[in-house]
Amino acid sequence: MTRSVRLAARQAVLEQRSFWRSAEYALFTFVFPLMILLLIGAANVGSYLPGTHVKNTTVFVPSILAFGVIVAAYVNLGSKMAVLRHDGVLKRIKTTPLPSAAYLGGLLASTVATVILITACTGLIGWLAFGADPRSGGLPALTAGLLLGIVCFATLGLAISSVITSAESAGPVAYASFLPIAIISGVFDPTFSGLPQWLSRTVAAFPVKALAQVLQGAYTVRPFPAWDLANLALWTAAGAAFVAWRFRWHT
Amino acid sequence: MTDTRVIDEAAPAATDGLAVQVRDLRMSYGSTEVLRGVDFDVRYGEVFCLLGPNGAGKTTTLEILEGFRPPAGGTVRVLGLDPSTQAARLRERAGMVLQECGFPRQARVAELIDIWRSYYPNPRPLGELLEVVELTEVRGTQVRKLSGGQRRRLDFALALAGDPDLVFLDEPTTGFDPEARRRCWAAIENLRRLGTTIVLTTHYLDEAERLADRMAILRAGRIELSGTTHEVAARAGLATRISFTTPSALRLGQVALPDGIGLAVRGPVSVCHTENAAMTLRRLLGWALENRLGDLDGLAVTAPSLEDSYLQLTGADGDL
Repeated sequence: MTRSVRLAARQAVLEQRSFWRSAEYALFTFVFPLMILLLIGAANVGSYLPGTHVKNTTVFVPSILAFGVIVAAYVNLGSKMAVLRHDGVLKRIKTTPLPSAAYLGGLLASTVATVILITACTGLIGWLAFGADPRSGGLPALTAGLLLGIVCFATLGLAISSVITSAESAGPVAYASFLPIAIISGVFDPTFSGLPQWLSRTVAAFPVKALAQVLQGAYTVRPFPAWDLANLALWTAAGAAFVAWRFRWHT
Repeated sequence: MTDTRVIDEAAPAATDGLAVQVRDLRMSYGSTEVLRGVDFDVRYGEVFCLLGPNGAGKTTTLEILEGFRPPAGGTVRVLGLDPSTQAARLRERAGMVLQECGFPRQARVAELIDIWRSYYPNPRPLGELLEVVELTEVRGTQVRKLSGGQRRRLDFALALAGDPDLVFLDEPTTGFDPEARRRCWAAIENLRRLGTTIVLTTHYLDEAERLADRMAILRAGRIELSGTTHEVAARAGLATRISFTTPSALRLGQVALPDGIGLAVRGPVSVCHTENAAMTLRRLLGWALENRLGDLDGLAVTAPSLEDSYLQLTGADGDL
């Protein structure tokens, strides 16, 4: 057991090093969300949600926190896994006595590290630039949301990796499968509204909106978001079932 | 020799002294029979080559030996273990170079070899691994910047990281230029010197001839021939070839062909094939003396080559 943990930790360190060597991963995971945060955030300064005293940025900053979690866990892990499988790296791992759990554990640990970093950057910039910070009573929801968010979207990332058919399409497919949902969920626009009811209901069933709402709740006054956390848990279970069914070590 | 290391409680007594033992191995994909009763042995410390055209079943055989596929029938023992049920233990003692296995793109050479070492209980020292595969100069280079030949040698280094008793190489030089092949062969010969048993597949004859202590020719799911290079060539039952420069008197038709040895004039060279080289030579030289043709310029007696045997065996497939 301790050996597996040690091996997983080593794998995680190598993954982190590789991550920072790759301009595309580092750029898309960090620069992209932080740029959106600053640009759209700046456009929303001084505006309030219609009919309330809640600043737009107070809702927008946690939305981008959710966006960062999804990019780092879902897009990154999903596309990375697809590339590793397509390149035959996973098959090569299978030729060694390394326990599968130690290898996957290492990848997940590296993902968690990336999520923590992007969350810290987003939170800090959101606070410094827009004065948005979580209320003290929102910390349990914030922690629960981040933890469940990582688990949920990492699981979904592993799931999507199994349906990606080539290394080249890995990034685009991972992005395309959640960006439209993120836009319709209002992640990039705090005042987004006017959708037909059926569409807004459909979109609310996805975990993107659920995670955004959990984190928004930690910044604004809202009751504990039990339903949204349940939504994330359900998607985690569905993702895990899909992974168990379709995950392959080689193409 | 590493014979002492194979002695362990799970090793069946039947495999004494053999690194690999394959008996009546059968495999089918759907209704297609790929292996139809394959038998061969690999001894400790030798380089064994599974030679055959594409589609002969080489990779399938290797995948079964490596524990990636359960066989449809027959028995397989690798280092005294059954690969289909003891794959985990086999992985600790056998290194594998599969076809088309990539590397993590951003890892550096030494870094990757080093983490591979951590997967094994008794790894080989990093510096030694780099030297065996001649990658010391590029130890700090990112894997994606390596040439094809360097990548293949990195494959070897990773397969060797755990100081294995046995290494499987699946078509180690396919698609390489002559220089890359030469360096690959050098790396394989370095491995042999370390006492590692090597099982490799190839469809290149010169590769088998150069590297293998013993070989088996696999064709359409069966072993056609096996043994040392010489044995394989001899057992194919090919005749010795005798040739010499056609004397001008013979070419001009001033001299009649000798009887009974099947001599054929092919322009500047005359050739005959025989099962009994000594007798044919005597008759040929007697004939030359009678006709004042001298010692027959360019006289050559060629033993049946492996290439001849191989082409004869596999020629029907038109693969080479």
